[in-house]
Amino acid sequence: MRRRLLGALLAGLLVSAGLTGCGIPDQSAVQVDGRLGPAAGSGSSNGGGARPPTPKDSDDPVQFIQNYLRAAAAGEREQAYARAKEFIAPEVKNTLREKQQSSEIELTVVRLREKPEKTPPNEYTSTVTLKVQQVGVLRADGTLAPPAASETSYTFQLRRVDQASPSLVINKLPPVLLTTDEALRDYYRSQTIYFWNSDQSRLVPDQRYLSTTLPAERRVTEVARWLAGGPPDWLAPSVTRVPDGTTPINNATGADGHWELNLSMNGANDAKLAKLATQLAWSLPTELSGQLDLKIQNQKRLTIDLKQEREANPAYPPGERPLRFAIYDGGIHPLSLAGEPTRRVPVAAAKNRNVVSAALSHSGDQVLAALVVTRSDQEQRLRVGSGPDPVTVFNDSRISYRSIGRPTWIRSLDPEHPAGLVAADGGLYRFDGAAGMSLVPLAVSGKVTAVAGSPEGHRVALVIGGGLYVAAVSIDGGTVSVGQPRRLTTQLTGVTAVDWIAPNELLYAGNHDGRPAIYQTTVDGAQETPLETDIGAQVTQLAAYPGGVVGALAAFSYMYEANKAAYKNNPFGIIKREQVLDLPSPAPGAKPSNPTAPFFSF
Amino acid sequence: MVTSPPPDSPTTARRLRAARALWRALAGGTARLASGVHQTWRRSLQLRVVTITLVASSLLVGGFAYLIADKITNILVENAQTDVLLRLQNGREYARKQFNPYSQAQEAQFQDTIDGTVNYLAGGDPAQTSGVVVAITGDTFTPGTIAPHASPDVQVRPLIGQELRASVAAGNVAHQIRTGTLGAERTKYLVYGSPVPTRFGQVELYYIVPLARQDATAADARATVVATGAALVLLLGLLAALVTRLVVTPVRVAARTAQRLSAGLLDQRMVVNGEDDLALLAASFNQMATNLQRQILRLEEMSRLQRRFTSDVSHELRTPLTTVRMAADLIFAERDEFDPAVARSAELLQAELDRFEELLTDLLEISRFDAGFAVLDSEPTDLVPVVHRVAERLAGLAERAGVTIELDVPDTPVIAEVDPRRVERVLRNLVGNAVEHGEAKPVLITLGMDQSAVAITVRDHGVGLKPGEEKLVFNRFWRADPSRARQTGGTGLGLSISLEDARLHGGWLEAWGAPGQGAQFRLTLPARAGDRLTTSPLRLVPADAALPFGGPRDGGLLAIGPGSGAGALAIGPPGESDRAEVTS
Repeated sequence: MRRRLLGALLAGLLVSAGLTGCGIPDQSAVQVDGRLGPAAGSGSSNGGGARPPTPKDSDDPVQFIQNYLRAAAAGEREQAYARAKEFIAPEVKNTLREKQQSSEIELTVVRLREKPEKTPPNEYTSTVTLKVQQVGVLRADGTLAPPAASETSYTFQLRRVDQASPSLVINKLPPVLLTTDEALRDYYRSQTIYFWNSDQSRLVPDQRYLSTTLPAERRVTEVARWLAGGPPDWLAPSVTRVPDGTTPINNATGADGHWELNLSMNGANDAKLAKLATQLAWSLPTELSGQLDLKIQNQKRLTIDLKQEREANPAYPPGERPLRFAIYDGGIHPLSLAGEPTRRVPVAAAKNRNVVSAALSHSGDQVLAALVVTRSDQEQRLRVGSGPDPVTVFNDSRISYRSIGRPTWIRSLDPEHPAGLVAADGGLYRFDGAAGMSLVPLAVSGKVTAVAGSPEGHRVALVIGGGLYVAAVSIDGGTVSVGQPRRLTTQLTGVTAVDWIAPNELLYAGNHDGRPAIYQTTVDGAQETPLETDIGAQVTQLAAYPGGVVGALAAFSYMYEANKAAYKNNPFGIIKREQVLDLPSPAPGAKPSNPTAPFFSF
Repeated sequence: MVTSPPPDSPTTARRLRAARALWRALAGGTARLASGVHQTWRRSLQLRVVTITLVASSLLVGGFAYLIADKITNILVENAQTDVLLRLQNGREYARKQFNPYSQAQEAQFQDTIDGTVNYLAGGDPAQTSGVVVAITGDTFTPGTIAPHASPDVQVRPLIGQELRASVAAGNVAHQIRTGTLGAERTKYLVYGSPVPTRFGQVELYYIVPLARQDATAADARATVVATGAALVLLLGLLAALVTRLVVTPVRVAARTAQRLSAGLLDQRMVVNGEDDLALLAASFNQMATNLQRQILRLEEMSRLQRRFTSDVSHELRTPLTTVRMAADLIFAERDEFDPAVARSAELLQAELDRFEELLTDLLEISRFDAGFAVLDSEPTDLVPVVHRVAERLAGLAERAGVTIELDVPDTPVIAEVDPRRVERVLRNLVGNAVEHGEAKPVLITLGMDQSAVAITVRDHGVGLKPGEEKLVFNRFWRADPSRARQTGGTGLGLSISLEDARLHGGWLEAWGAPGQGAQFRLTLPARAGDRLTTSPLRLVPADAALPFGGPRDGGLLAIGPGSGAGALAIGPPGESDRAEVTS
């Protein structure tokens, strides 16, 4: 009996243990599979960049305000409000309305027109007034959008933190997050990214700004996001977006010459990927080198070497070696400068007469020539011809104009349908290979006085009513149309001439406080550099070589015409008559004149 | 308002009683059941074998099933763990790369990156995932710095235990199985955690993988194993039952046959099937039965012949004895005319002939008992007159022996269904013996009755009986002192016949005696013929009998302890050597 009981008990125990004991337990003890070691300590960012200014840096009200303006730009955009608010008294901190979305945080970039004024020098409070020029709005996608505000001055009121301390704090301020163009230059760097044009043959540069504090991986990520985000409005007509559904998945990773970018893309194929790879190779910061693995949905699809990719696939054709020409005595003549090659003029001598200004370009083995010629009635016509060197067949425009500016060839066109733009009698005209001119409607009123095509041929710089504009050029079936021009904020007024001196930089001439000057500016107008300030006379013609062929010319080479004479830089000087080649023997007794309207042919 | 009845005494007591009754009924039922089971257990070899087989095989199969099910579960869980660990390592590597560019936890894009990373690691589309939840927490930072992110976006905090969190926060890769509810139902989850180093410290990456499939598979395997095991155990039990039945059935047949044999059915035999051990047993059993039968028949025959001989001899002796008796009677009647010596011989002859006749009668009576011809002629009889009659009959003898016969009989009639002739013979015998051995001391006859029995005791105060002689006195021709010639008294068969008479009634005839204290005989008969006797209305040992050790001292206690011999018990007053020993 007892045995039986024991047996039954044991069996019951076993069965119950078997039923419950060998299943997956409801909860197990924590089991350690390994150790990664102590958590990594805080490392330093490899992005570098200057230390952001703090309120303690200065007790001088003006310097304090300048530090305040710099602080917004000095570091991550998302933290801009936090940095700026350190300068603000607690009771007015809400004046700066923080944006909820980090993508909405925008910096209003202004240029200080003069040194800030401090009034009055009070014991306890002081007021600082800034005279500013609105430059633009730095957006999350790194673009500097046209300014939204129109204020020309901002007033800040400061007080001491407390009676004992000399430290300052802002207690009255404009409700915008302000920074200056200088801070932008110091804490950001321009980053050119590229978009394919509509037929995917050329990459169109676009100017963006990248915080210097960002480490390399995040720069790659940012650029990829920008590309996915598409071009800015003004450039949109001339470029295409990345393929549909292209977005980076999380951050790009990698370091030291090996980068990985994981994307999603609808209908990814090799052709699309190759285009995207070229676009990326050009758009990524040029200091990055090495391999880039392009992954689509985590599948490695393409690996490129950034540098090789850039070398193998130029963003756009660099053009021929640049040659200098000038107009002398109604004819185009090559200029001979020390160390530079020369060629004879690729225009038949019979047609090379009464020329006021000219534009020569190359398209394949064809020479494109557009000449502004003066008729006997002092009216001007456009003479256009194309063909192998020398060009002999020219067409004159049917209508004559009182004044025609220097024409510019649109470099992106196919050789069969050459086209260009020219300003004539205050209007913008396009012309074709047969000198057929038609007015290009512009959304901006004002007299168009100068036009210059960009090196890749999808943007133009315009001078409209003394203001500087840029606009996108789109070409549909050989028809050139110009998009909505964007006005650039310039320090110069009464702009007279413009040309491209770099893919994203313009050279323009105007008046600075009534004195003619030549300035260089970025394509968004944010960063201006004076190049020539004591010219003395109005600059009437301006020609620059935007680079492209390595070693052809010193960087930022330009020539201009002022006071019926031609000048050049590198080194700076007037272009003398002796430097003009192929001159006919001068008529005896005639007063030797100066070469005018210099230009580059490339 | 309803009030509960106060816990006053009547209700409570009633309830208590009811509870007690219930408890008693339950306990009684259990005890009955237990005793029933116990009895079955003791009686059925088959049940024992089957039970032992079931228990043993249950243990074995259960252990085996446990091992297998445990192994299967372990393999499933280990596979899942290997799988998740691999994913975790890849995920950690990915997250580390993703977080590498950030130098501050507060950066807004870092939070976005965490979100993107968990989404990516969870497989992107929450609807497509197989229930795997990927979460990143920042437990080492001040709360609120890094909000926990999970994909799919569910509340994972309860699933990640405090212990696991602490372990992972300390830099360990660790895992734990937890049960919780993330989706619709409660599921077991395998939670794996790993620190992800970043520039500014560490965040924790967790993979929470549901084990529902593994659980179901394990349950399936378990059910299969258990079902198989149960089937196996049942099969083994069935097998054991069958095999035992094969063995037990012939044994039972043998037992039944043996019972019948012992009941006298000597021609019962077992059926012999085949040539196996059981067949051998049956054959041997049959042979034994045959031998026994032969022996028994032979002995019976011999016994029958002996009884027949006695009967025949008695009958044959009676005829000449009758003749001799008639002659002797004649001589005895004429003895006065003989000379004294011859007259004396005639008297002797007469006396011996009386004895001889008596002996013959007794022998015939005994042989009638032996032959089984004795028939009980019972009728309701008042025993009081019977006792008186016997006393009167023996009054002469008593007077000669100087013994007084005292009677202790009830005033009311004592009616019992008995054969009065036989009862009277028994009493005569007992009283005669008492008078004969009474040594001139009084003989007491007591009559008693209760509901089921009547009893008569005859007490004398003669030499008594030595220990062990209580049984011997009923043997035929037994003598207390063999050297003593049978000069006086009966034939030596009286008590034997009395015993047979008592048995014929279904009653008892017992004797008690002690040296020097006399003897007492007790006849107990059922009040109704055919009833079974259980007790006797009168004591066998007389009240005035002395105990061997003198009885308890001053009414104190008696001690029972081991005796001097093996298996002997000694009883007597404590601390004294005067003790009585009883051996088994």
